[in-house]
Amino acid sequence: MNIVVCIKQVPDSDKVTIDRETNRLNRAGVPSIINPFDENALEMALQLKDKHGGKVTVISMGPPQAVEALRTALSHGADDAILISDRKFGGADTWATSYTISLAIKKLEVQPDIILFGKQAIDGDTAQVGPGVAHFLDLPMLTYAKAVEPTDAGFKVEKVTEDGYEIWEIDKPAAFTVVKEANQLRMPSLKKKMAAKKAEIPTWGFDDLNPIEENIGLAGSPTKVSKIFAPPVKLNKEILSGEPAEMITELIQKLKERNVL
Amino acid sequence: MAEEIKVFSDEYEEYLRDESRRSGSADRIVFAKSDADVSAALQEASQNNWPVTIQGARTGITAGAVPEGGLILNLSRMKSIGEIHDSRLTVQPGALLTEIRDAAEKEGLMFTPDPTETSASIGGMLACNASGACTFSYGPTRDWINSLCVVLANGETVRLERGVDKAAGQRFTVGTVTGELPDIAMPEVKSAAGYYVKEGMDLIDLFIGMEGTLGVVTEVELKLIPQPAAVNGLTAFFPDEEAALKFVRFLRESAAPPVAIEFFDFQALELLRRMKTENAAFAELPEMQSHFHTAIYFEFHGDDADALEEQVMEAAEMMMELGAGEDDCWFAGDAREIETLKKFRHSTPEAVNLLIDQRKKACPELTKLGTDMSVPDRELENVMRMYHDGLATAGLEHVIFGHIGNNHVHVNIIPRDMDEYAKGKALYLDWAEKVVAMGGSVSAEHGIGKIKVPFLKLMFGEDGIAEMKKLKELFDPQWILNQGNLF
Amino acid sequence: MSTTKEIWVFAEQRNGRIAGVVNELLSKAQELAEKSGFEVAAVLPASGCADLCQELFNYGAKKVYTLDDPKLADYQNDYYSRAIAALINDKKPEIVLYGATTIGRSLAPTVAVMVDAGLTADCTQLDYDTEGCNLLQTRPAFGGNIMATIICPDHRPQMATVRSNVFKKEKLGDSEAGETIEYPVDLSGVPERMRRIEVVHEDDNTIDLNAAQYIVSGGRGVGKPENFKIIYDLASELGAAVGASRATVDAGWISHHHQVGQTGKTVCPVVYVACGISGAIQHLAGMQSSDVIVAVNKDPDAPIFDVADFGLIGDLHVIVPEFQKQIAAFKA
Repeated sequence: MNIVVCIKQVPDSDKVTIDRETNRLNRAGVPSIINPFDENALEMALQLKDKHGGKVTVISMGPPQAVEALRTALSHGADDAILISDRKFGGADTWATSYTISLAIKKLEVQPDIILFGKQAIDGDTAQVGPGVAHFLDLPMLTYAKAVEPTDAGFKVEKVTEDGYEIWEIDKPAAFTVVKEANQLRMPSLKKKMAAKKAEIPTWGFDDLNPIEENIGLAGSPTKVSKIFAPPVKLNKEILSGEPAEMITELIQKLKERNVL
Repeated sequence: MAEEIKVFSDEYEEYLRDESRRSGSADRIVFAKSDADVSAALQEASQNNWPVTIQGARTGITAGAVPEGGLILNLSRMKSIGEIHDSRLTVQPGALLTEIRDAAEKEGLMFTPDPTETSASIGGMLACNASGACTFSYGPTRDWINSLCVVLANGETVRLERGVDKAAGQRFTVGTVTGELPDIAMPEVKSAAGYYVKEGMDLIDLFIGMEGTLGVVTEVELKLIPQPAAVNGLTAFFPDEEAALKFVRFLRESAAPPVAIEFFDFQALELLRRMKTENAAFAELPEMQSHFHTAIYFEFHGDDADALEEQVMEAAEMMMELGAGEDDCWFAGDAREIETLKKFRHSTPEAVNLLIDQRKKACPELTKLGTDMSVPDRELENVMRMYHDGLATAGLEHVIFGHIGNNHVHVNIIPRDMDEYAKGKALYLDWAEKVVAMGGSVSAEHGIGKIKVPFLKLMFGEDGIAEMKKLKELFDPQWILNQGNLF
Repeated sequence: MSTTKEIWVFAEQRNGRIAGVVNELLSKAQELAEKSGFEVAAVLPASGCADLCQELFNYGAKKVYTLDDPKLADYQNDYYSRAIAALINDKKPEIVLYGATTIGRSLAPTVAVMVDAGLTADCTQLDYDTEGCNLLQTRPAFGGNIMATIICPDHRPQMATVRSNVFKKEKLGDSEAGETIEYPVDLSGVPERMRRIEVVHEDDNTIDLNAAQYIVSGGRGVGKPENFKIIYDLASELGAAVGASRATVDAGWISHHHQVGQTGKTVCPVVYVACGISGAIQHLAGMQSSDVIVAVNKDPDAPIFDVADFGLIGDLHVIVPEFQKQIAAFKA
């Protein structure tokens, strides 16, 4: 089975803050990691390979340093990695990103039977690139997959919903976004870590993908960030005391004011 | 005005317990916020002859913070953390290890003592001279305390500094208390059993590991060191325990030994495998292959990443020579991966606690029986054989894990009923005798508390205990402080 | 760019019931309509759906485009995206809003690339800029550390998804008038590439803590296992999941499934009500990113109050039932 996993390198969002003077992100010293949900997609790919054989290729689009995320994926057991990187791809929103990644997948020598994504990336939380890529490749797609098993014609899939789950059958080839509950990424072994360190990872740029220029980068992105600002500071805590009934009346009033009831 | 001493009522019920799961009783409770509060509480207790039990975060597992009547002097609200100057950090006793670590990390520094329970308070850590995995290289809490303030039973406050306040031979003076140090021999291994005594010693060391029996520590100055530039961790899985023990010897004797060497026996791995499938809280543990039998975790710290890598590679070669497959290991090259391996380590005692709690439902008196004994290097294989033989003969469910670098593993016996519990207890006592004979300690890091009092006697004999009691009486003639701990 | 001056709301239905978030979006759309001068319409894919339109009118839709086809009875991404994209390409609305449900968050991204629209996920504020004629879509990013306002200046429609409970719904009446437009659906050329073969609804008691909007948690202060009943009662009134501190789980009062904290689950609901939880660091680590934290505790110095937005000092055995009572009254 040929498996493609799309991963994103993200800053460890717990550690990102905003400078309240300049409204810029403080990313200095914040470590970059593989988007945690993409780890679940990677593990699902590795388990499918363990059981059914095949090859796992990881693809990431980002700046040159995103190669580190690909190296990490290799150390966990992926077979191949490709970086999509070009200045011209910079500033892409999810539309342009989906388009660009789909071109890279089309360029693969052997077309995948299955493409896996994390359910969303923790920096943007958009959850849009998976469905976008699937559309550009004209593949059927299911989101929030917890378990995927190959069948004769395609896959049997457990898809998580708000109040339970659904079982779907889907034709091959297909694309999925994977939830956290699916699995836990295995640890790298030392041997794979060392091999990953030395691995040659090709970078595919503008000339390799030959995209329609108005579909990529900033120009290909319908959405624009108009402003970035710090979230409202958490209001000072309010301590209520006194008669329970009065306290609760006041609490409910305050919760209503905060728009949370 | 001093913090009010409150009459004990049900709402404070949680303060009757610590992580030993033992429950006690109390008549009064006070949440001290300052030295003055502590001093006032002690004076009042002394006047009324109330026994005083000192508490921090109550994460100890020897019932050291479980009150036996009288006043609870709770220090958990006395938790301020000062500024760092010259790699020194002054904190109050209620400050938690995790908070201290965060404060140090912000300055690129670290506080090395690393008990597995990071929500322990520094006061508690100091009281039992706590240690952890990295103690193998960095030493226990004692080595990282530079000075402290202690309030004595009479209400007097004394400040002691390492290198400044020393005993003259056997004679010592602490505030208005003077006397002779007890005449007892210290074990040659890592130990948290009883008072620490040495001719010409730093007097601060009398109060580290004293389990609240000599005074109440109200301020601690910690020593910090720069964080290493590179950290590598590796969990290696071996096909049998013999190979794993050989690997421990190899690591320990290598030119640049790791900072930590940890052990997980077959039963520990089996328990984690089971928990991973049965309990959602353990679902995040990495998958373990079925041929993994015994695991060794080790960690290297250094400033040269390449040199570190070479050390790890060298260890990996030995690992394979001893029969582990080339992929039979988990490698952690960054903080996040190290965290995963540490979580795995922490999961072992958590899993045991969970199992005990389940069994408690059928048999409420059950508790886990956990050993905490260390032996000299030469006895490692012998002590492991002793544990396995004893457990096999008694047919008890158990796991063994812990700080094997210091020949200090925890055997956790998980009894199914009171009959097994009795069997386990007998076994434990038998082991304690043998460990003492090997030159070991009956408690390497948890302290004696109330639970291990008979073991302390076993280790130091009637005479040794009598010597320690003499010291106790000099500082606390009314015997109000932490009654039931140590003696 | 010639568009129909309309704001659309995707009228998500499951088993013939309109999702709650749809009505919230209709109410918000009305507000945007007042600023922009656009008209509010709903798009309802279903099979036999005429009787659902009235509800949509009642919450502010002036028009409902029905997409009526047996293949649209339940959500299937290929069919839904194709049918909606065809309608969008034909009518060219200004704005399309979707609930950020598991359906909306799969469908909207597919439709967005099909119709070359910009899409902003999980908006927490929507506003209309009458000068630039843009929808101002504001959303948190980087785990809530920053907020970003997104616009979509050169493409129409402007699309956004919004979570449930972000906007308030306001019913206008019981028999509001509106126009139903039965829009023809042709899915004959769309191959059937996926089939749903089973739907499993899990027991309400196991409301997923991670996904819950509201969580009521009990700690040692609850006193004994039987007392968890008042926690459950308040939770059920709030539609909340029940959480617990490690101490209560360790004591065997409640199953491990409910544990919030470092060794349990990490949660971020809209409201987290901590009852009798002192606030050990293990617990705080698992819940302090909740939007609003309410703490009920006897002890005014309990560390839980350090992270609480609202602290209620007193006996939870009185306060929690009172809370439940007043919520019930509030809902009624």
